[in-house]
Amino acid sequence: MILIMAWRNIWRNKMRSIVIMLSVAVGLFAGIAVLALYEGMMKSRVRNVIDAEAGHLQLHNSRFKKDYEPKYIFLNGHDVLKQIRSLPQVKLATARTISSGMLSTATGSAGVQINGVIPEEEYEASQLKKKIVEGKLFDPARKNSIKIGKKLARKMKLKAGSKLVLTFTDTSGSIVSAAYRVGAVYQSENTPLDERNVYVTMQNLNELLLSGNSFHEIVVLLKRDEDVQLMQEQLKHQFPSVQVESWKDISPETDFMVKTVDQYSYIIMVIIMLALAFGIINTMLMAILERTREIGMMLALGTNRIRIFTLVLMETIFLTLAGTPIGLLVGWLAAGYFNRHGLDLSGMGKEMMSNFGFGTMIYPEFPVEKLGAVILIVTGTALLSCLFPAIKALKLQPVEALRR
Amino acid sequence: MNCMKNAVIDAHNVSKVYNPETIPVYAVNNVHLHLERGEFTALVGPSGSGKTTLLNMIGGLDKPDEGNIFINGIDITKLSASQLIDFRLHNIGFVFQSFNLIPVLTAKENTEFIMLLQRLSKSERNARVKQLFHEIGMEDKLNSRPSQLSGGQQQRIAVARALASKPQFVLADEPTANLDSKSASNLLDIMAMLNKEEQITFLFSTHDQRVIDRARRVITLVDGKIESDTAHVDTNIAHEQSVQ
Repeated sequence: MILIMAWRNIWRNKMRSIVIMLSVAVGLFAGIAVLALYEGMMKSRVRNVIDAEAGHLQLHNSRFKKDYEPKYIFLNGHDVLKQIRSLPQVKLATARTISSGMLSTATGSAGVQINGVIPEEEYEASQLKKKIVEGKLFDPARKNSIKIGKKLARKMKLKAGSKLVLTFTDTSGSIVSAAYRVGAVYQSENTPLDERNVYVTMQNLNELLLSGNSFHEIVVLLKRDEDVQLMQEQLKHQFPSVQVESWKDISPETDFMVKTVDQYSYIIMVIIMLALAFGIINTMLMAILERTREIGMMLALGTNRIRIFTLVLMETIFLTLAGTPIGLLVGWLAAGYFNRHGLDLSGMGKEMMSNFGFGTMIYPEFPVEKLGAVILIVTGTALLSCLFPAIKALKLQPVEALRR
Repeated sequence: MNCMKNAVIDAHNVSKVYNPETIPVYAVNNVHLHLERGEFTALVGPSGSGKTTLLNMIGGLDKPDEGNIFINGIDITKLSASQLIDFRLHNIGFVFQSFNLIPVLTAKENTEFIMLLQRLSKSERNARVKQLFHEIGMEDKLNSRPSQLSGGQQQRIAVARALASKPQFVLADEPTANLDSKSASNLLDIMAMLNKEEQITFLFSTHDQRVIDRARRVITLVDGKIESDTAHVDTNIAHEQSVQ
């Protein structure tokens, strides 16, 4: 009976109840939109890190990453690479020679990481081919061709065909300088990386580093993202002298962002719902004040205070939860639409977005796995909102209430 | 303090005073009242004479500042707020001046409400509702909401609700004040019949001469004190005979 009364009570003032239900729906939609947007942004960022920057796993000589000294080449690198490529979970494994150096032109110089790559494999491993915005792919006929990022090109006033000099130390510690011609300019969704990384062929760099046909890094792309941890452990076990890192180790800021963004989005959701709670409290208080006499009569008849509290609680929960399916449905439809068509955030500034490693086209994802938490937040809001009106109702004395 | 034998209501030296610290105003002043089972009593007096205050104290809705009120031998002035709620539920029926039905419940649900609080089974509730609606002559209005009923019909539902819990007595505060003469007469017939057939004690506070004429006992309150306490047997019997 209390449930029936609660449900019917919320329809006593239809307009007021509908307004509060719609506010809950809009608030929930806003919360879902934030969650979906963050989910899409984070997935896109992780995808970028894996597919275009670090791969799922990277292997190095265990001393290489301390100072990036070229002498710490991969021991038995080709054997290791061969064994990794034979693993069923591995989609692609490629090698890179790496050196830190100075890029100089007539107008200035900049510190860069020189990546000596196997072009055909690198095109897939870091999607270098897709990133090229000006110039051509590696041509075996053009030995000293270099690919540089757009940000660096702009800074150093370079374009396809421009000349530049790379200076670095070889494996013996001697300083080497080599002239290159810009073969292509690439642009990724991570400007800081574009500014720092340049690509030459591995063969070319190895000749200059005097490192023979060895290399410093193996990049591994897996068939399934879920296998990262398992494969990391397996490779560590299989190659104990090698440093095996996952994308989370290589790009800890991305991992941190993924972990914290969930908390941020929940905080935003809680703030939205808290703001709504005041609306719900106001509505319930009005309802209680309007029904003071009725509640007084119920108390006089012998309704105990637990039942009065339950009545107010159920009314608040119905009022709050009635808007929830609408908010979720609209959130689901909107997230679905933008997931298919993308949400272009270039208006916020492409450069700004890529400075943080994000693309401007975001594909929001409806946060299915967070629905439980969302419902919990909404229910918490209802419980919180009912307290003040319920206390008000419980404090009523039947005689005084009946007089009003 | 011992209460009198067979008394449903036994009030001793009951006083209610407002502003005791500044200018004390006695709403009820040293009242002694004794009602036995089956009485049909009207509490009359001018406005402000303390009728409703006395009724509220007897109903356990308010506490006296002095004195004791025994209901079936239990001193209700000693009960806590939650004990009083439970006591009212099982012992006292209320009929209010402005009906006070729950607007979102149907006539049947309003009557059932109190039995649900008493945790009666569905079959018990249905049987009692059927009997009460037959007695008040409203079998066809079971599923009507209060807003679909006239004032007289609402007050009859309120009487059915008051009786649903099978109380020791019914307190009715100006039950006919908002009714036309036909509805008032109809309601009084029903209450007189229930009083006679189920031996339910009725105590009314009223200004209404129609109620006073039908009461078998009339207690007059003036300035919080009982001024007179008289029996009206003849009028009531005469009316019952005319109804028959």
